[in-house]
Amino acid sequence: MRTPLLIVVVLALLTGVPPFLGLGLQNTFINVLIACLFALAFNLLVGQAGLLSFGHAAYYGVGAFTTLHLMQAVEHGFAFPTPLLPLAGAAAGLVVGVVAGFFATIRSGVYFALVTLAIAELLHSLAPHWQGVFGGEAGLSSMRMPWAGFTFGSTLQVYYLTLAWVALSIWVLWAYTRTPFGRLTLALRDNEQRVRFLGYDAHATKVIVFAISATFSGIAGALQAIANETANYSLFSAHVSAQVVLQTFVGGSTVFFGPALGAAVFTVFADQISDLTRSWQLYQGEIFVLVVLFAPTGIGGIVEHHLRHWRQLDWSRLAAPYALGGFGGALVAAAAVFLTETLSVLFGEPYALMRKKAGDGYPSFDLFGIHWAPTNPVTWSVPLVLFLAGVFLLLRARREIAALWDAIRSAPASQTADDEVDASLQSTQHSPV
Amino acid sequence: MSTPLHSLQLIDVTKSFDSTIVIRGVNLEILTGERHAVIGPNGAGKSTLFNLVSGMFPPSSGEIRLRGRSITGLPPHRINRGGLARSFQITNIFHRMSVFENLRVGVMARHRVRYGLFRPVARMHRINDETREILALVRLDGRADHMAGDLTYSEQRALEIGMTLTTGADVILLDEPTAGMSREETARAVELIRDVTKGKTLLIVEHDMSVVFSLCDRVSVLVYGQILATDTPERISANREVQQAYLGEEAAL
Repeated sequence: MRTPLLIVVVLALLTGVPPFLGLGLQNTFINVLIACLFALAFNLLVGQAGLLSFGHAAYYGVGAFTTLHLMQAVEHGFAFPTPLLPLAGAAAGLVVGVVAGFFATIRSGVYFALVTLAIAELLHSLAPHWQGVFGGEAGLSSMRMPWAGFTFGSTLQVYYLTLAWVALSIWVLWAYTRTPFGRLTLALRDNEQRVRFLGYDAHATKVIVFAISATFSGIAGALQAIANETANYSLFSAHVSAQVVLQTFVGGSTVFFGPALGAAVFTVFADQISDLTRSWQLYQGEIFVLVVLFAPTGIGGIVEHHLRHWRQLDWSRLAAPYALGGFGGALVAAAAVFLTETLSVLFGEPYALMRKKAGDGYPSFDLFGIHWAPTNPVTWSVPLVLFLAGVFLLLRARREIAALWDAIRSAPASQTADDEVDASLQSTQHSPV
Repeated sequence: MSTPLHSLQLIDVTKSFDSTIVIRGVNLEILTGERHAVIGPNGAGKSTLFNLVSGMFPPSSGEIRLRGRSITGLPPHRINRGGLARSFQITNIFHRMSVFENLRVGVMARHRVRYGLFRPVARMHRINDETREILALVRLDGRADHMAGDLTYSEQRALEIGMTLTTGADVILLDEPTAGMSREETARAVELIRDVTKGKTLLIVEHDMSVVFSLCDRVSVLVYGQILATDTPERISANREVQQAYLGEEAAL
């Protein structure tokens, strides 16, 4: 089993590297960890129980606000250890999750999704008006108080607090998948009717799954509140709910750690790219669409697929077509970026002013340190050539990769159910340990 | 608790969907320990009858008793916990789980670890042992680790029957367990059903008359939502009314 080794390495890196990073990156790491936990908590519902929630911001936000209330109480002298603050988020997520889950899970599918969306929107519209609870439009703020010699004043200390909680929570979520209830959750996703005829109360089961998911979402929200020392009603926005959906599917909802990968990639992406371009959310959306269309199992699914066949992989033969595909993908991406950025310049306000000055002509503009003339065909042939070349290379690479994989798959390997499903979910499916 | 004479009683049960009456006052008594078949032409309401008894939907009127206690209108999981399990005509398994896990979900229900959250199920030896027993009983031991969705049709039907046994119910309802099977597969399925329902009460919907004759103690004929007759297979096949209503062409087989 390589998985435990991998986990140890990742944990060691997460523990050892941040002290050598700058403040900005330490903050990014905190955000990545929180996003990972939120995505995994969310995926308990969507990936394992098959219930797609469009309003998970509700439980995240409730966790954050409750924690801030507790932090304010601590500021005013209430004795509560700072490292245990996330318990408040967990409790709030649990309580709200039970109530919301009870109503949401009465129906399945689209109706379930709509009820969860409505609950989050309800909170989003109430929060600015409920001064006492959510601090109105400005939100709530507080300070982390020192505890047992730790000041929690430095970002690094907050980072380690976050890491401890996220690691513990993820371990619990993973252990959950191996309990009877965890197995029942998968059965529920597969065939709810049969679950009922095997003597299980399907509704009660769904409420419990929902509540557990909300509890861990609440912990993620609490960690966010502790890190930022503030929260306002925008935590309840549809944007937050949508982000976790995107991250989960890009990461891969069928693999346990998939959503964490998606969350990490998107959080770093948002962090780094949002400084460079205002179109970063468009790029996120494009990535999401491409993953759903061409790699529906997500990043995690691809990684898991390679790990599963690791021993049969001949990298000396796979490396070339993979590199070719990567290069082709980069060309297509360059074409998309060029086009997006060009259009956002041409339709932007500054360019409209430039046009007015130039007497309604089409003056040339600066992008990537080069002058471009909108009326010059060369300008438009750049993305076109990049795109066509990229697609050509991608198609070639895909053909070669498909051939190599066909050979790998048809190789006589001990193909069992263990290989077929989420490997990390069911490694010890039934072996009596 | 002494064993009641009747495992299952249906008293004046009716069911209508909108304005269509499907079950028109069925009275039926299933004796404890007997194997009882329900036969009848297509559209007679056999599957509806099963759905009423197993709690898929409530009857419009009348009463259903399981071992003397009313289960009228109870949800399926309550009826299952009361000791009645059913199979489905269209295979109704967990396609994306292993064969072993399909069965274990039911065994877990029997052992009341439904909401167990604090111990890995892999360490629950009794549950895993019992799952293996049922696996052997339905002759799927060699397929334990295969995805249920990858099994052959007749293997899936065997799994379907196996899942019905997992919850420990002693009243078993099988809805056309041999539908779509070859003659050979059918013979093996009958053998299997006879094996696994030993000491239990069986109510079975079956089209294949040879299955009914070789397996069942009594037969009820359902025609247009009413029980036409209930008797031993021999006397049912000799019953003129039944012959006219239903058996006519098939009795000649």
